[in-house]
Amino acid sequence: MDLVIGAPVEQDLPIIQIRNCLLVSIQTELHDRLALDLQASLMERVRNVNARGVILDVSAVEVIDSYITRILNDIGKSVRFMGAECYIVGIRPAVAMTLIEMGVELDSVNTALSLDLALERLELL
Amino acid sequence: MKTVEKEVGAILAGTISSITQRSIFNRLGGLATTPIQQLTPADRATILSELENSVRLFARSNSSQLIASITKALSAEAGAMAGAAGGGGGGAPTMAAPRKLPIEQEKDIATARLEAWSEAVRIGLSKFASVKVATAVSELARNIVFYAGNGTVELRSLKDDRGVIGLQIIATDQGPGIPAAKLDEIWAGTYKSQRGMGKGLVAVKKLVDEFQLDTRPGIGTTVTCIFRGER
Repeated sequence: MDLVIGAPVEQDLPIIQIRNCLLVSIQTELHDRLALDLQASLMERVRNVNARGVILDVSAVEVIDSYITRILNDIGKSVRFMGAECYIVGIRPAVAMTLIEMGVELDSVNTALSLDLALERLELL
Repeated sequence: MKTVEKEVGAILAGTISSITQRSIFNRLGGLATTPIQQLTPADRATILSELENSVRLFARSNSSQLIASITKALSAEAGAMAGAAGGGGGGAPTMAAPRKLPIEQEKDIATARLEAWSEAVRIGLSKFASVKVATAVSELARNIVFYAGNGTVELRSLKDDRGVIGLQIIATDQGPGIPAAKLDEIWAGTYKSQRGMGKGLVAVKKLVDEFQLDTRPGIGTTVTCIFRGER
């Protein structure tokens, strides 16, 4: 009767493979250790499956501050170093406007409105 | 008697199945059956962070609204009780007590952010302004955790005779302070920290309507900022 629900937050983020792309849906607080683990396991998976792209879905993330922006940029850079492309999808309008106002840039990643569009663009690469 | 379980259950009804709800409340243990007015601020923080994760996980559509309603249900009740205890029978709305949130570890950043967000919504700031408030609090809380170790973030609603006119955020720590030379670099945008981007303070300054920084090396740092509601 004890369902495994509200799994521990400390758990690693699941990386899902769709054809030759890797997808991570960010649903929890990206703290230091989790972010570094995610970056490392993404690198590993990109190499193992010859991924063409990495897609990070942030549609559940209500607040993106300069620190999270840096994490996303870092992941984008390392994915790019390996020869794949990184897409951030689902940035909320209020988040986008706040980022502009803060003057921080998401310049090491690509963005797409939805998962569908990101996959479409990665197909064309 | 209004318990956490009853109040939160009423909000989640129709969005999260009762089986799932039961598991969520099981995770809260004794807190689920505690009457709302008996909750301590620490209990409230525990409940909120636990519920936030669960609601995020199970109610994909409007999880933010649900979380805001839950925060409101848990705190408005406490506010009303405090008002009644104070015997304030006047026509003026009771001023919610300023909330001081302890910031000691990374998970407190998320709690502070959520509290700030729901406080902004509660005093009637727009959706966009509320996200700005939450973002600024996130930056300030992060600075405390990264550079000072621990401190507090205080949220106060500012009022005049016409009602609420804004939200004040005061972030205080007794950390190492920021040396003048480093501060110059920060404002010039040339400072790069190891963990952050060194842009947190600049970002906060750009987001808020009023910004004041008081830092003394060896003593600590206090950042005071004000958001005014657009009306």
